[in-house]
Amino acid sequence: MLLLVDVKDKGGIMKKIILIFSLLTISVFSLDIVEPTKVKIKIKAKENNGIVKVKAAISHEMLSYDQAKKKGKKVNFITHIQAFVKENLVYDVYTSQFFSKNPFIKFKFVGKKGSKIKIIYTDLKGQSFYDIKKIK
Amino acid sequence: MKKIILVLFILVFNLNAKNYRLENPDAWSAKNVESAIESIYGKIEPIEGKIKLKAPKVASNGSSIPIFIKTSIKAKSIAIFQDANPESTVAIFNIQKDQIIDLSIKIKMKKSGNIYVLLEGLDGKFYSKEIYLDVAIGGCEG
Repeated sequence: MLLLVDVKDKGGIMKKIILIFSLLTISVFSLDIVEPTKVKIKIKAKENNGIVKVKAAISHEMLSYDQAKKKGKKVNFITHIQAFVKENLVYDVYTSQFFSKNPFIKFKFVGKKGSKIKIIYTDLKGQSFYDIKKIK
Repeated sequence: MKKIILVLFILVFNLNAKNYRLENPDAWSAKNVESAIESIYGKIEPIEGKIKLKAPKVASNGSSIPIFIKTSIKAKSIAIFQDANPESTVAIFNIQKDQIIDLSIKIKMKKSGNIYVLLEGLDGKFYSKEIYLDVAIGGCEG
């Protein structure tokens, strides 16, 4: 890599590119990506005329800042919910503390019967959880 | 330096979906709807209507209020706000290309107030809808 820089480098562009790449690799390895753990999420996914209807109920306390203060517990709520079908994102929402306890979501997308839907959620602590269900 | 790494990380891994938690941290602590909208989308003038927003007129229990959003407008993102709780932003959806906009979520509200939905269309225009609902028992007291 250094040789490449010496030969072709004219305006310091190559150096910059290599710097960016090395930074990227460092950033990838330094941010240890936490593997999501499997939990039970109630998911119902039904296909009708090419449209998949999904209902999902996540069991989570969803303690807002006020509630946590009153109960004397630590604040924790879901901040991000995603749904995938074959690595294809079909649902993506950033949530706040004002979702109800045990949040319930409904959505629709264009899809097929038989494929599997994966729902992932991340909470304020940075932990993520997932569950998979077949579309009926 | 940390910021550069963060920005690069976002650019590479979130090309199709915007991360509102990292990019708009002010939106989640905004105290009213106007400042929340400004921190996410900037100064905009939304067109009223064209979105079906349904919620019960009187919510007996503020800790679980179902909200339904339906529209045929092609959207990039949808944001939900309310003015009853200490902070106003409730949720921001990144609408995917396979998705049909027929959503439902359950939220909690401390007292009676307005629910405000803002839709960012693929055409660059903004659409909004607002409804008022009564809450009999507040849902944020725990």
